[in-house]
Amino acid sequence: MKSKKGLFNPDSIQEIRNETKRWEKEVYPREKERLEVFETLSGIPIEAIYTPEDTAKMDYLRDLGFPGEEPFIRGVHPTMYRGRTWTQRQLAGYGPPEETNKRYKFLLKQGANGINGVFDYPTLRGYDSTDPEAYADAGRGGVAIDTIEDMRILLDGIPIDQVSSSMVTCQPIGNISVQSMYFANAEAHSIPFNKLTGTSQNDFLMETVVAIAPEVLPPKASFKLSCDAIEYCTKYVPRWNPVSFAGYNYREAGCTAIQEVAFVIANAIACSEELIRRGLDVDRFASRLSFFFSGHNDFFEEIAKYRAARRTWYRVMRERFGAKDPRSLALRFHVQTAGVALTAQQPLNNIARAAYHALSAVLGGAQSVHIDAYDEALCTPTELSSLTALRTQQVLQLETRVTHTIDPLGGSYFVESLTNQLEEKIVALLNEIEGMGGIVRAVEKGWIHKAISSEAYEYQKAIESGEMPIVGVNCYRIEDEKLPIELFQVPETLEIQRAKLERIKKERSSTNVQKASDAILRCCEKDGNLMEVVVEGVKAYVTEGEVTKVLKRYYGIWNPPLF
Amino acid sequence: MQEKRKIRILLAKPGLDGHDRGIKVVARALRDAGMEVIYSGLHQTPEQIVNTALQEGVDGIGLSILSGAHNTIFPKMMALLKEKGLSDLLVFGGGTIPPKDRERLKTMGVGEIFTSGTDTRDIVNYIKGVLEKV
Repeated sequence: MKSKKGLFNPDSIQEIRNETKRWEKEVYPREKERLEVFETLSGIPIEAIYTPEDTAKMDYLRDLGFPGEEPFIRGVHPTMYRGRTWTQRQLAGYGPPEETNKRYKFLLKQGANGINGVFDYPTLRGYDSTDPEAYADAGRGGVAIDTIEDMRILLDGIPIDQVSSSMVTCQPIGNISVQSMYFANAEAHSIPFNKLTGTSQNDFLMETVVAIAPEVLPPKASFKLSCDAIEYCTKYVPRWNPVSFAGYNYREAGCTAIQEVAFVIANAIACSEELIRRGLDVDRFASRLSFFFSGHNDFFEEIAKYRAARRTWYRVMRERFGAKDPRSLALRFHVQTAGVALTAQQPLNNIARAAYHALSAVLGGAQSVHIDAYDEALCTPTELSSLTALRTQQVLQLETRVTHTIDPLGGSYFVESLTNQLEEKIVALLNEIEGMGGIVRAVEKGWIHKAISSEAYEYQKAIESGEMPIVGVNCYRIEDEKLPIELFQVPETLEIQRAKLERIKKERSSTNVQKASDAILRCCEKDGNLMEVVVEGVKAYVTEGEVTKVLKRYYGIWNPPLF
Repeated sequence: MQEKRKIRILLAKPGLDGHDRGIKVVARALRDAGMEVIYSGLHQTPEQIVNTALQEGVDGIGLSILSGAHNTIFPKMMALLKEKGLSDLLVFGGGTIPPKDRERLKTMGVGEIFTSGTDTRDIVNYIKGVLEKV
């Protein structure tokens, strides 16, 4: 048992307490405060000053420890950025795969060390580009993928046995086809599955809570698809992270920092329980569960959030699941700087914003980072804006020397106190969700939908009242601003995708397609692992839209609560 | 004194774009300003939106598009409205729509386009300004 001594000598604490009282009474009031309320973005009060008293109850070895060791709060690896710096993983995707392939190669050539693929709206939602529901959005918001041939084109010339890939597939319904195409394409190139490294998003909340739409898969079915992909990768693609719990997107939809962490951990708890129910040992899959957070405006709260998330996860894995492998206990995460914090007004200001967001991610110990481009409130990033974002990463990594020591804010009275308070609130919210019957029930009831949209509305009201200053929006505006940047034009996509789809449908064996579709339906009926049959299906050139149709036919559709 | 009929607005998100934070915030702001709001959710085709507008007898339609598909969707909407004899209906929009496109959409009969950073009170004032004059 590790020691349970406090951080400081009790006599010193008493002395500091007395002196703090004196200072608060006699010295501090000599000057007036600028604001009536000082608080974090999620509403935690911020004191004028923090002293050893605020951390006096902590036990260093139990609550902080060392990097690469329990409770992993100071970092998940022993050397952290002194050994290997974070992965610079810049998101890219637009138009047909032919075009996005060029952008990937450009970013890798300029020093990015992983690819981060974002898919267009039809692909995320499980439609083919030519679907009547989808055609207007083909190639928008990401790259269009309809068949395994598109995946081959997307990754052409990229050594996926050496470069790791993040696949922002969002919803399980899109993920199951896209991820299957990725693996089947690797197989076609004779790359063994144990050489593949990367992450796919595959988060059922993305389908049922964030960006909700009528006629999506019901929460239980979406959750099942997510778990199928995790189970499949655990068995066959051991170095792949088959889920990235997308706190980032919950945050973009309106969550606070506390909700962001509580919802991802509640989601990870539900997945873990399901996988254990399916007979997997927790230490076989937990090390491959990964997390995705937002880097938002409140610099210190964000740093404390990442640290609190690590300690909360450690405790959940240790105490609830009895995990033993250190890799199961360490929460690894990717950060994207907050898109919702970008402004369409004076867009170059976004370079400064995103740099601060990224700095907080790095001070919080992120494993990989994407920095938003300055034009993202207006359009898909141009080559110049993407390059500027990548260079911002490189400046942070190479010039600032913030990488030279591990967890530099560990021991800060303020940051430790904030970390403790956040952890307490995250755990309270986790208990509340538990009381509702877990995350799947909380989704079915619409509770999460309400919680998120209420926070989004409060945030907007704070901007409109002027209580939350946003430079260029509610202060320091430029009236009749002339846009100082070039905007990106999405290249023609629909006709290119249509031509490929028509040719493939003519050339493929309709018998094999029918067999593959039947196999998917049979797998639904016997509640088998769908990933196994979809991987086979995409090899027979079954399209993503065709996979979706079978799944929706069997599982039906759900109309989620809109607020 | 005759009670004033509430302004009825249909808010809709055409296409598959999932960015719905903005439209939900606008829906609540319009409600708080005393309007009746029908929010369709995502994945609406222009045909579905026009049908809902007809059934609900709304005074205006607000479309939110953050995918860049505005140049495809707005013209289709305006043509459909004309076909159904609803050309007089107020149509406004919001999203990531560049200035050049905003001007073009307005010449097609779209009343106003609100982009990121808009104060919801400006949207309320705009709608009231147009509809209460009638």
